[in-house]
Amino acid sequence: MAIVEVTELSKRYGKQVVLDRVSFSVEEGEVFGILGPNGAGKTTAVECVEGLRRPDSGTVRVLGLDPVGQGAELREHIGVQLQHTQLPENIKVWEALDLYASFYARPRDWRELLERWGLADKRDARFAKLSGGQKQRLFIALALVGDPRIAFLDELTTGLDPQARRATWELVKRVRAEGVTVVLVSHFMDEVEELCDRVAVFDRGGVVALDSPEGLIDGVDAEYRMSFRFMDGQAPEPGGLLGSLPGVASVSRTGDLVVVAGRGDFATEVTASLAREHVLVRDLRIDKRTLDDAFIALTGRSLQGWPPPPGPSGPAPRTEEPS
Amino acid sequence: MKTLAKLTAVETKLLVREPGAVFALAIPLFILVAFGSGITEGDTVLLPMAVTLAIGMVGLYLLPTTLASYRERGILRRLSVTPVRPGNLLAVQLLLQLALTVFAVSLLLVAGIGLLGAHAPGAAGFLAAFLAGTAAMFSVGLLIAALAPNGRSANGFGVLLFFPLAYLGGLMQPVEHMPDILALAGGYTPMGALRQSLDDAWSGGVPAPLPLVTMAAYAVVLGLAAARSFRWE
Repeated sequence: MAIVEVTELSKRYGKQVVLDRVSFSVEEGEVFGILGPNGAGKTTAVECVEGLRRPDSGTVRVLGLDPVGQGAELREHIGVQLQHTQLPENIKVWEALDLYASFYARPRDWRELLERWGLADKRDARFAKLSGGQKQRLFIALALVGDPRIAFLDELTTGLDPQARRATWELVKRVRAEGVTVVLVSHFMDEVEELCDRVAVFDRGGVVALDSPEGLIDGVDAEYRMSFRFMDGQAPEPGGLLGSLPGVASVSRTGDLVVVAGRGDFATEVTASLAREHVLVRDLRIDKRTLDDAFIALTGRSLQGWPPPPGPSGPAPRTEEPS
Repeated sequence: MKTLAKLTAVETKLLVREPGAVFALAIPLFILVAFGSGITEGDTVLLPMAVTLAIGMVGLYLLPTTLASYRERGILRRLSVTPVRPGNLLAVQLLLQLALTVFAVSLLLVAGIGLLGAHAPGAAGFLAAFLAGTAAMFSVGLLIAALAPNGRSANGFGVLLFFPLAYLGGLMQPVEHMPDILALAGGYTPMGALRQSLDDAWSGGVPAPLPLVTMAAYAVVLGLAAARSFRWE
């Protein structure tokens, strides 16, 4: 059953079109990713779903309710973690949880959340004294204290160090395991690849693709990318040599750097062929295609204007602040 | 009800932990006691001045700084995705700041009348002056909170307004020593009108209508302007 249904949603601020006929739906129980660069309209779309903003046109239904007209009823059943939100500096962890629990008709036991999210020993700590990761855990706990059916988490790991990011991912998996549907807004490829069942890729106010992370990656022409350089003085024409091997999709050469894209066992074929011809190579590496490649294929550019990071394990964790 | 009670309880704790609240209590009291050792039985100047100072500090500093920082930190926005309307938080804050003002003024009255031996003001006149003055000062604070982009600039606006208003209101030096034109203009500022009304109450007379009307006008006009221009995020 679709728990969130967005149809032809459009929103503009003045002359600037932020969302242009956006449609997607979120199924109950999944982790749904909303991915895209800063300014793609991700947050605006989610704010329309949460009832914080009124759409210019199109329809939004969450749990069958209209977030604008039936907001009061809806807010009992959604949990939200907003980007750039703080608590009063001097509020203690338990006071915040106790206070937010009192907002809902049927809240969860906040003491149990305190334990569960590893904040028990920070019970009496003031908000200003918490680390970035602890604040984030508190925000997730506050989003869950009303016992929501759906949780919206916006840029959850922005500004956290790699270790805290990975720890936060485990928390999101736990939320899902508890049966809460999660809508995750992110501009991190690795995060979405790791956590989401399905992803809507936003670019310039529209949804350019909607699929599982695997499905999006499969959409890229080849599964693997192999690159190497010829040893000094050796410069055979690789196209003739490698282009016809089984599994090879494309061969390109820039100076002595050769890039071969392909599927399946093509790498073995390539190395065997090079050995037969007594061609020596260096800097040999094989990368699996990642969501980054899929994003470039979809939008013609990298997510933040960077080239996809190298390495066989996918993109390295990034810690840059958003602009 | 449960929610409002809890909201009030938590906000009260936060107010107690806020150094600004302590200043609003301590500074007028300090001035009263420091200058009050030479207070005479019939003194009608020192207590009105201290009371005006206390109301001004809450209205011009504490109230706008708190509200603007709540907006800046996204607390009002965060509330608007819960079943509680963020307007409740504003209402609770206003009530608490009013309670703080009453407490600060009570301290001054107890210290001034009880310990220093100043005589008591006329009850009706004092009450009218206090209510109109608090409403006027809070409306200035609310307008600052509405216009300031964040807590720090709200604080800056408060400081920027406080000293000229305190001077014009005759809190820095007696009105008789001020240039006539400034003294006249001062009567139409919220602090000047409040001090004057309190003077009247302490002199035993009924407060003159003009200062009361001036304060009421500030409260209505600035209050409406604040309500119109207030942004939730």
